Amino acid sequence: MSTAESATAINRNQVDLLDFIDWSGVECLNQSSSHPLPNALKQGYREDEGLNLESDADEQLLIYIPFTQVIKLHSIVVMGSEEDGPKTVKLFANREHMGFSNVSDFPPSDTVVLSQDNLKGKPVVVKYVKFQNVRSLTIFIEDNQSGLEITKVQKIALYGSTYGGNDGHEGVEED
Amino acid sequence: MVLEATMICIDNSEWMRNGDYGPSRFQAQADAVNLICGAKTQSNPENTVGVLTMAGKGVRVLVTPTSDLGKILACMHGLEIGGEMNLAAGIQVAQLALKHRQNKKQQQRIIVFAGSPVKHEKKTLEMIGKKLKKNSVTLDIVNFGEDDEGKTEKLEALLAAVNNNDTSHIVHIPAGPNALSDVLLSTPIFTGDGEGGSGFAASAAAAAAGGISGFEFGVDPNLDPELALALRVSMEEERARQEAAAKKAAEESSKQEKGGEEQDATMTERASEGASEADNKKNEFLQALAMSMDEPASSHDLQDTEMSDAATEDPELALALQLSVQDSAKDSSSQADMSKLLADQSFVSSILASLPGVDPNDPSVKEVLASMQSQSEPQQKQDEDKAPKEEDKK
Repeated sequence: MSTAESATAINRNQVDLLDFIDWSGVECLNQSSSHPLPNALKQGYREDEGLNLESDADEQLLIYIPFTQVIKLHSIVVMGSEEDGPKTVKLFANREHMGFSNVSDFPPSDTVVLSQDNLKGKPVVVKYVKFQNVRSLTIFIEDNQSGLEITKVQKIALYGSTYGGNDGHEGVEED
Repeated sequence: MVLEATMICIDNSEWMRNGDYGPSRFQAQADAVNLICGAKTQSNPENTVGVLTMAGKGVRVLVTPTSDLGKILACMHGLEIGGEMNLAAGIQVAQLALKHRQNKKQQQRIIVFAGSPVKHEKKTLEMIGKKLKKNSVTLDIVNFGEDDEGKTEKLEALLAAVNNNDTSHIVHIPAGPNALSDVLLSTPIFTGDGEGGSGFAASAAAAAAGGISGFEFGVDPNLDPELALALRVSMEEERARQEAAAKKAAEESSKQEKGGEEQDATMTERASEGASEADNKKNEFLQALAMSMDEPASSHDLQDTEMSDAATEDPELALALQLSVQDSAKDSSSQADMSKLLADQSFVSSILASLPGVDPNDPSVKEVLASMQSQSEPQQKQDEDKAPKEEDKK
């Protein structure tokens, strides 16, 4: 895959899953009240570099995102600054109401270590097979790049596809 | 009406034998706990409260978060005093109990009664506070009883570590003539929880002071919480249906009578549920109102202004009344008329019964009643005969 392609690895089938997020159930543990999750997730807010999601008591963040329908997750984009952007990110599919105490109780569906490129916007492709049937996604940000007290996230974007429409059935239709 | 799960940590250490808070520190604490449990379950029926003791042989959970007030009160009996309070362990066990609450949508809150000296280091408490904040648990601290060096400081440090946007509170209660629970009533632990808590607190405080408290719906929530709840729920339901019915009425007022009748019939059914609390006076008054709607145009004007007096407090009521006036104006006097008026009257009576702002004893309402009755007394008697027959048929 060329760099150009992976930069637009949001390829034809993958859409921004922002529209499928069930906002009424979105939760974020350990967020600072002046810098809450919508700053990183919502359209418009996440583009604004001045608006970040910040952690509060320590550097970890636990984000729970339910969806309005079952989706397949292809890749994620996590943007932040060089020093206090997130480093280790663990993704859990379909685990409801996790707390910091049970993040280590079960293995994550995928673990991502963010590089500087990722923090600038390069998408990270996840283990597709583990995210075929996702009703909710829990994002556990374990630490940040420089081990600082507060982790700051500028943008979180999820890319994937849904089961409705022609996604995944294109092969069949060609017959 | 925040949905909350609360764990109350009771100090049952040796220091609680002291009588500086009458009758004994422990008793004062127990009263305060009862009060808090009542307030929490009142402000939102889905709230749960649990209790644990911090001293004695060790931290012991007496009851896990439940909305059953009786269970909570029962577990407070037969508690033994002894040992030393273990604040850190108590808070951590409380946090664990909250983590396993059944309804994950509830906010987590811990209320700690710290009556004896705190033996933990400030650092330890701060770390505990941070952990609570991280897991979005709020903490209320009631500092009473012993006041040794550093206790207040440590508790303040703990609060600072937990506090997130003023959702956690600390209260210092010195020994004095007032009971612990009375002092608590005026603190943010009760009032900071929103209107529900403060409503209960205000009425309880007023009752305690011997004054007359204005309860919603004229029913004391303390004496009959279920009825108060049922009234509140039926009022909300009525409001919602009112709006829906008003919308429907607006559409159907241009349609045939039959369509209007069906709607009125359903309105009657619904209204009769809500009207179960309407008293006779109101019924008469409203029947009179409704009867006078039937009269020719000249009295319509008079009645319109009078109705608008009664209805100024609720625009929805005004709209509904207007529409029912329109409807009845179209009808010729017949059985259809009767059912409509019945619907209007019981519907309107249920609205008036459930509106918190409208008081049947209000002078303006009484005036209207008097004028209505003098206008339509003969008609009223005749129609009252018809009305019960109508109900029988239904």
